[in-house]
Amino acid sequence: MAKTLDSDLAAPDVAGQPTAKVRRWRTASWAPVVVLVLLCAIISVINPNFMSFGNAQRIAQAAMIPLVLGIGATFIILMGSIDLSVEGGLTLAAVILSLLTLNGANGNDFGILAVLAVLIVGASVGFINGMIHVYFKVPSFMATLGTWFMGVGLANALLGGMAVRINDPWIRGLAIERFLGFPWGAWLALVCLAGAFGIQNYTRLGRYIYALGGGEELAVLSGISVVRVRIAAFTLAGVFYAIGGILAAAQLGLGNAQIGNGRLFTTVTAVVVGGTALSGGQGSVLQTLVGVLIVVVLSNGMVLMGVPPSVQIGAQGLMIIAAVALSIDRKLMRIVK
Amino acid sequence: MPKFILQLDRESLRQWLPLVTLVLLVTLVGVFQPSFLRPSTLLQLASDTAVLFVLATGVTFVIMLGGIDLSIQSMASLASVIVALTVARLGYGSFVLAIAIGVVAGLASGLAHVLLKIPSFIATLAMSGVLASSALVLSKERSITLGELDRGYQTWITGTVYGLPNVIIIGFIVLVIAHILQSQTRFGRYSAAIGAGEPAAYASGVKVDRQKVYAYILSAGFAALAGVVLAGRLASGSPTLAAEMLLPSIAAVVVGGTAITGGVGSIWRTLIGALIITVVRIGMTFLGVNIFAQNIVFGAVLIGAVAITIDRSKIPIVK
Repeated sequence: MAKTLDSDLAAPDVAGQPTAKVRRWRTASWAPVVVLVLLCAIISVINPNFMSFGNAQRIAQAAMIPLVLGIGATFIILMGSIDLSVEGGLTLAAVILSLLTLNGANGNDFGILAVLAVLIVGASVGFINGMIHVYFKVPSFMATLGTWFMGVGLANALLGGMAVRINDPWIRGLAIERFLGFPWGAWLALVCLAGAFGIQNYTRLGRYIYALGGGEELAVLSGISVVRVRIAAFTLAGVFYAIGGILAAAQLGLGNAQIGNGRLFTTVTAVVVGGTALSGGQGSVLQTLVGVLIVVVLSNGMVLMGVPPSVQIGAQGLMIIAAVALSIDRKLMRIVK
Repeated sequence: MPKFILQLDRESLRQWLPLVTLVLLVTLVGVFQPSFLRPSTLLQLASDTAVLFVLATGVTFVIMLGGIDLSIQSMASLASVIVALTVARLGYGSFVLAIAIGVVAGLASGLAHVLLKIPSFIATLAMSGVLASSALVLSKERSITLGELDRGYQTWITGTVYGLPNVIIIGFIVLVIAHILQSQTRFGRYSAAIGAGEPAAYASGVKVDRQKVYAYILSAGFAALAGVVLAGRLASGSPTLAAEMLLPSIAAVVVGGTAITGGVGSIWRTLIGALIITVVRIGMTFLGVNIFAQNIVFGAVLIGAVAITIDRSKIPIVK
């Protein structure tokens, strides 16, 4: 019985979903692109320097970390959950990387093993998020609020308030060395995007994440193991935050406990502005790319126009409200908490 | 009857566990450090709890409704900056101005939440960005120390009455006002009703949206008051003054036994929760735990308390 139910529901779901969804969301998923193009046009009219190759390099440099973080968060938001532990995972990853690789504070020099260890740390943070969320049945925003501060606290405890210089040329090279004019980190972020796109569209995990976000009751009835999908998604997101941590450490050339400050904000803004709905089920990592570019281009434009950087957080806050207000499907939610 | 007993146990656990925990913690610290139980130390403990308690009281109103306010720390920091910038010109008016801005900010996040139907955690997260940004711009990203003259206006915070620090009196007044609001007014009853079951409250004619906006106004208003008090105690205002207080505040509410699903809770519970948090912090400082690393413990305490108090029958799907 369960088996027939499974195959009956799963087959039309896989076959019928893309056409219906693509048609319905064509306008909504193109709106952010239009915003991005308009934004670029307006800024280049005000300041022609915007369209230079040098500025494109600056934008790539600024976009690489938000892109990697945003990709991770997209998977969580697609499920209709939220991950507030971005800064916790990133800070912990950056600090552990700075302690394990060739650095100015201790004698460690584990090279590629350090990177591997950091990826495992990121995965564990995500795994813990998922376990708390699923097994204690704690809403994701509370579970990840806790792990956010635990991650940053642990990073602080490891460093005791210091900052550790990173001397490993390979890691510094991610931000400094260039390939075709763009830093290696930006290429790495694009590789992450390609990988995430593959996971999202061509694996079972990706389809199940969409299914959970679209309607969890239905997903359960079609035999999807919600527990496993949720834990896997949080773990995956944790790995992306760790990659973000590696890039952040490379960009700053050091690891400290403040390295993550403000990054949660940019991440959530980028995902939501890109058009991924907080209610889940609708969106894509490609839309997150557009969202990241909107956020980065806007802050780049503000710098070109001489607006102080501290205004940017406020502008992002207003963007979150506007984007969520425009993208939420209110018919689906009668009670908003 | 085993199910009934089980439910009773769970209910009484939530009722009494916070108080028992507090007494145990105080005894424990007292055994290791007998000077902790002296009246002067306990008064110091109460003064240190006051700001946390005021912050947590505000957010209790929102949590009672089943929402959350993630902007209180930014609001408190902004209020401290406003006081530091204007106290020389406006005198006592600067405190009123800071709290008025709090009320406006609360109104804004409340309206964003109910009119645009944005989930509260995202609306207040966005609002915290706007507030933090305002504080950074106004203060030019610096910490502003209050001058000798300005400190004269702060005696209502820093002074004492018959040896009793004024901060404790402020905390007590907040407790009384919040308790009356919560237990003696229509707003308090409607909040509990909305938290217990929003569709039922709506169906019985409660103006749900209006009550929610009131709760966010109270939350931001009390957060601003906390910022004002904090600025007085530290004799400075800074855009990051209260940055580390979001987690302890929410933890205080939840540890006290107020469920984040709403409906169950009280200001007394928040008071107990805030005292627990302060005793734990003092205990950890005594053991030599770095103040930033203490967040590891608070994060774990928060998750544990949420897991115990949450009412899972209200959320069939945990997202």
